[in-house]
Amino acid sequence: MEAQKVDMFIMSNNKFFESHHIPQIRELLLKADDSKWALVQTLQFQDPTTILIVSLLAGGFGVDRFMIGDTGLGVGKLLTCGGFGVWAIVDWFIIMGATKDKNINKLQQVLY
Amino acid sequence: MTRNKLYTLLTVLSLSGYAWLVFQLYAEQQNSGIGQVCIFKSVTNLPCPSCGSTRSILEIVQGNLLAALYINPLGFLFVSVLLILPLWIIADLLQKSDSLLKFYHHTEKWISKKPVALVLIVLVLLNWGWNIYKDL
Repeated sequence: MEAQKVDMFIMSNNKFFESHHIPQIRELLLKADDSKWALVQTLQFQDPTTILIVSLLAGGFGVDRFMIGDTGLGVGKLLTCGGFGVWAIVDWFIIMGATKDKNINKLQQVLY
Repeated sequence: MTRNKLYTLLTVLSLSGYAWLVFQLYAEQQNSGIGQVCIFKSVTNLPCPSCGSTRSILEIVQGNLLAALYINPLGFLFVSVLLILPLWIIADLLQKSDSLLKFYHHTEKWISKKPVALVLIVLVLLNWGWNIYKDL
């Protein structure tokens, strides 16, 4: 892909990824075929900030985990009342990283 | 979700579950509990969907199955999970297999299907409504 397109993608989507993943994403996109561009552009990423708000409000019911696609963990959180509240509080701090991981997985699935 | 991450998480969860139960059994004998731990209930004064599962499990341990069913049917789910999970993890670790991980991914996919998800959501909501009605 052209460097210009790749840089445009990174500029408009960098809040969805960990900063240390950006160089890796840039290389992946540069190596990728031009035909993937349309697909990459239509990808919908989860905004880590939105998920954090959901986690703060409804983390005890596991809604945050359901939203990023961790259905199994969501059920676990829901049925244990947010892991006695402990797990819910731990997730306030790690949910943004987990969301960004999910986003990069989504991108990788399209590119490989 | 990698194999090691999942197995560590599940081990920690079931160990804390057992620790909590032992503590509750001990507290019941001494007649000194630490009272209510549910944050949702403390804040809103309403029971959460899984409130009462500890009491339910303690009734099952003592053989009062009907009483357990009345307090919270989720207790039966927890008892079976707590019995099966550690054995499954140990078996998997000994045989160096990842059958539990495969089962986890399989179940996750199955639960995410719309009809299944709908039924489960309705069940949880019904149970929650019953909890509020019983004023657990």
